[in-house]
Amino acid sequence: MEIVICRLSAVITALSLSIIFLISPASILAQPDKYEVLAQATRLVNSGDLEGALVLYRQIPAPQENEEGGVFVRSRMEAAKIYFSMKRYDDSEQMCMEILRIYPDNLEAKNLIKQVATAQTPKWLGFLKDMQTYLPTLLRATVMTLILVIITMIVSPIAGLFIALGRISRVRFVSSIFWCYIWVFRGTPLLLQLFFIYYGLPPLGITLDPFTAAVLGLGLNYSAYLAEIIRGAIESIDPGQMEAAKSIGMTYWQAMRRIIVPQTYKRLMPPVGNEFIALIKDTALVSTIAMVELMRAADQIFNATFNIFILIQAAIIYLILTSIFTVSFKKLEDRLGVYENR
Amino acid sequence: MIELVDVVKRFGDFVAVDHVSLNIEKGEKIVIIGPSGSGKTTLLKMINFLQKMDSGRIMMEGEEVGYRRDKKGRLILEKPEIICRLRSEIGMVFQHFYLFPHMTALDNVMEGPVTVKKQSIKEAREIALDLLGKVGLLDKKDVYPAFLSGGQKQRVAIARALAMKPMLMLFDEPTSALDPELVGEVFNTIKALAEEGMTMLIVTHQMGFAREMADRVIFMDEGRFIFEGHSQDVFSDRMDNPRVKAFLDKVL
Ligand SMILES: Nc1ncnc2c1ncn2[C@@H]1O[C@H](COP(=O)(O)OP(=O)(O)OP(=O)(O)O)[C@@H](O)[C@H]1O
Ligand SMILES: [Mg+2]
Repeated sequence: MEIVICRLSAVITALSLSIIFLISPASILAQPDKYEVLAQATRLVNSGDLEGALVLYRQIPAPQENEEGGVFVRSRMEAAKIYFSMKRYDDSEQMCMEILRIYPDNLEAKNLIKQVATAQTPKWLGFLKDMQTYLPTLLRATVMTLILVIITMIVSPIAGLFIALGRISRVRFVSSIFWCYIWVFRGTPLLLQLFFIYYGLPPLGITLDPFTAAVLGLGLNYSAYLAEIIRGAIESIDPGQMEAAKSIGMTYWQAMRRIIVPQTYKRLMPPVGNEFIALIKDTALVSTIAMVELMRAADQIFNATFNIFILIQAAIIYLILTSIFTVSFKKLEDRLGVYENR
Repeated sequence: MIELVDVVKRFGDFVAVDHVSLNIEKGEKIVIIGPSGSGKTTLLKMINFLQKMDSGRIMMEGEEVGYRRDKKGRLILEKPEIICRLRSEIGMVFQHFYLFPHMTALDNVMEGPVTVKKQSIKEAREIALDLLGKVGLLDKKDVYPAFLSGGQKQRVAIARALAMKPMLMLFDEPTSALDPELVGEVFNTIKALAEEGMTMLIVTHQMGFAREMADRVIFMDEGRFIFEGHSQDVFSDRMDNPRVKAFLDKVL
């Protein structure tokens, strides 16, 4: 009987031990079940039970030494993302930190921490950061805007003077040619002219790159405007000046060059200054023919970031440019007027 | 020296200068008087080719100058080079000065010699300084016209015309735009020029010119010379032309 009881207890012990042994390897080593938990968690995520999934994810322990840690990283990353989407940024950051404590170089975790940082900064601060980030791009584009402005500022007064002189020619034929030129270029939108040059000429066998097309369009258009201003200025000079010049034996062209045109410089400054300020703004139109200048750069960045401050920044750059021009032209006007008694 | 023969100028139907003939001898001083709109300025401008005449002839040293005729006999101005050369030999002084405002007094006077005669800056400068000294404005040489009085402006204008060394000087009411107290200085400048023997044609309302320096006085009305004579004749009691008398009564 004793033997039987002994045997029984031994069996029970063995059984219980075997039960313990049967269960404990699963909870201590858990080699196959990590995956099961992960899969379970994923199922919960898919069914919408985020909290449940989070609990499961966090159950997956950190890997022991020499143990493969992929599942752990995966679980913490998933948890971090879920926290991030729930705007629980501290928890999200903590999940990432757990990964980084073991794998300090994990890129994914690092990136998410950065995102957490960005998400936690207020929106306007983010916008300000954008402005800082994109300022160099905008400034590079501003250089292109300035190049267009300066080329047009050099070309159009010279061409404008010739057109104006042609326009006031007493030879009917010459004057009507220039009249037509002015009529066309002042009477149609600059945008249309640019389109015509860039998109309309290739079918006629003339293909221009955006820069050439932009310079040509702005130059032709502004020459026409300046021609009318210069013509007005020339005609506003007292005809007695021409008579006096001729009376000392000057030819018409000598009189124009030495006497009449120089007297227009000062009175040209205010209207020409206005034109050039309009020009700075009009360069924005060439963004439509694939020219990357300030407007187009700002537009591109805006479309990528939807950051209204980029547009404000571009506006400020335009304002700075126009202000510099306004002041310079006023200075120039004063300097050109030294011979006047004020 | 210079002769106008049967010169006519029309503006549309209006005849501004009506068959006028005038012979100007070397060294002669002729004063033209007459009411406003009588064609005096137009006449002067035609002598200087600033106005194209419709018919007539302009002779210089006995030769017809300045115009060609087309097949129908109409007058055509000669090429600009020829006209400019002719003009450079005739100086003109305007009622409203027409100094070049963007140039100093000195540059105004130098402009003709430098640009038209292609003289060197140095040479032109010497001539200009000399002339500014003559009209008494050497101290104003670097002043812009806007800072000169009317009388000073007109004296610079006279120097500017003289710098071309003209053979004839035309004055179109040189003192009419001046304040009364400034008339004297310009008058004296012109008088000094007359005494040097310059040939001059002066259009004026200032009877002083007629009295003090005219060899001949011409009264012009409605585009015609209606009286011509010595200044003594014009101002004497024997003057019997009623239109001249009426005009003189008004201006004197
Ligand atoms: N370019 C022109 N076109 C049309 N008519 C003109 C022109 N120039 C002058 N006239 C007319 O010709 C006439 C003569 O003008 P002009 O200037 O020669 O007169 P004036 O004798 O000099 O008069 P004033 O004493 O007022 O200077 C005037 O009736 C004037 O209106
Ligand atoms: Mg006159």
